[in-house]
Amino acid sequence: MNKSVSISILLVAVVLGAMMVFQFRTTSSIDKGVSLSREQELSIERKQLERDILHLQEEVADLTAKLNEAGQGQTGTAGALESQLARLKLYAGLLPVAGPGVEVLLDNLPDRARPGGVSGFDNIRDDDLLKVINELRGVGAEAIAINGQRILSTTEIRLAGNHINVNLTKLSPPYRVSAVGNAGALKSGMEIKDGLVEYMDTLGISVKVQIKDSVQIPAYTGAVHFEYAKLAQRR
Amino acid sequence: MRRFKRFQWGLLLVGLVLGVMLSLQFRVTRDIQQNEVIRRTQDLSEQVAQTRRERDALQTRVTGLRSQMEQMSAGSQGTQLKQEMDQAGILAGVTELTGPGVEVTLNDSSVSLKPGENPNLYVLHDEDVLRVLNELKAAGAEAVAMNGERFLATTEIRCTDPTIVLNKNKRLAPPYVVTAIGNPDTMESSLKMKGGVAETLQFFGIQVSVKKMAQVAVPSYAGGVQYDYARAAGL
Repeated sequence: MNKSVSISILLVAVVLGAMMVFQFRTTSSIDKGVSLSREQELSIERKQLERDILHLQEEVADLTAKLNEAGQGQTGTAGALESQLARLKLYAGLLPVAGPGVEVLLDNLPDRARPGGVSGFDNIRDDDLLKVINELRGVGAEAIAINGQRILSTTEIRLAGNHINVNLTKLSPPYRVSAVGNAGALKSGMEIKDGLVEYMDTLGISVKVQIKDSVQIPAYTGAVHFEYAKLAQRR
Repeated sequence: MRRFKRFQWGLLLVGLVLGVMLSLQFRVTRDIQQNEVIRRTQDLSEQVAQTRRERDALQTRVTGLRSQMEQMSAGSQGTQLKQEMDQAGILAGVTELTGPGVEVTLNDSSVSLKPGENPNLYVLHDEDVLRVLNELKAAGAEAVAMNGERFLATTEIRCTDPTIVLNKNKRLAPPYVVTAIGNPDTMESSLKMKGGVAETLQFFGIQVSVKKMAQVAVPSYAGGVQYDYARAAGL
């Protein structure tokens, strides 16, 4: 008697539970780790990954060729090392480059002051240049220079009195930021609605973006010296 | 009713839960199958995962080849060539490095909002991370990474709450740990100085901690290094 009672209780409870679920409408998006609005994001991610793959394939081809060259004796090794050095210097910023891109000219608007500042006098701060460079990088800038100073992975941009130091070199306005990359993307990245150009205008900074067929980016010409960084030992 | 033993109540409860779980699962599965948008997103998600696997495999190959190049250049240890290669490699971000430095941990504010307060103020912004990086570089940082992603001359930051995206498709989750190789004392005091970056961030409740390290690791850039627009130029 008890057993059949237990079973019936169980069955009733299961049915009850099922009924409860179907009474309530689910309103949240189905959570399987991918939200509904992610399609565009995923598409962008895939495009970037495909670009990564292309770059990696090119590097594989390049390094393989060099290693083959090196395998052909003393002069082969020397040749391979020289061309690898040239390649590393290119991406390090130690060689001049050129290509399509933009020139972004930042200047103080003489009739307008940055909130809290003096009219027309040095509205441009290091923060502003950092943001401009970040935006250009975000839309694919491959090489950047400000007033002829090449931006390296170690380059600082520091406000010092009424000028800005880049690579420990004193720069004064107007600031000409040159960038090589997809010119259209670079220009629109800066000029989108509520983007940097609009924002900087409110700070009393005029930003003019000009597309150029050939932008020349000089090499970094300062001293290169590493005191602390060492190659990690191979495991 | 009085004849219900404790265990029978338990049975009721278990049955209820079982019923709820089974029908939830059924409902979720049915909804997904019927939902075109979710199916598309899942397909795209799978494609991205597949592309990512391909990219990762290529990355491993490139890392191996770079390592072989390094071994080949070890023969010229002590030469001008080797020194230039090492330096260019550090700037280009293709070598794994160790050395003394600092570890800077950043996180969104844990401050609870007062009514009417703008939550956006207490979230980590691009400019916060840009300032920290810039300060480190001004203090002589030789190589920098965040959550294992190496910073290059082309690296951008995009704070897309609750994550940060950099190097176009590397998504980082908090806490954000910036590792920088350089003089630990100089870098620490640069961040912590009065009126400095740490102070500004902490004003907005951003959690900042700076730790000096005798040894810190900065990984190499995970990706192919290649220019699509820039070419070496004779200037």
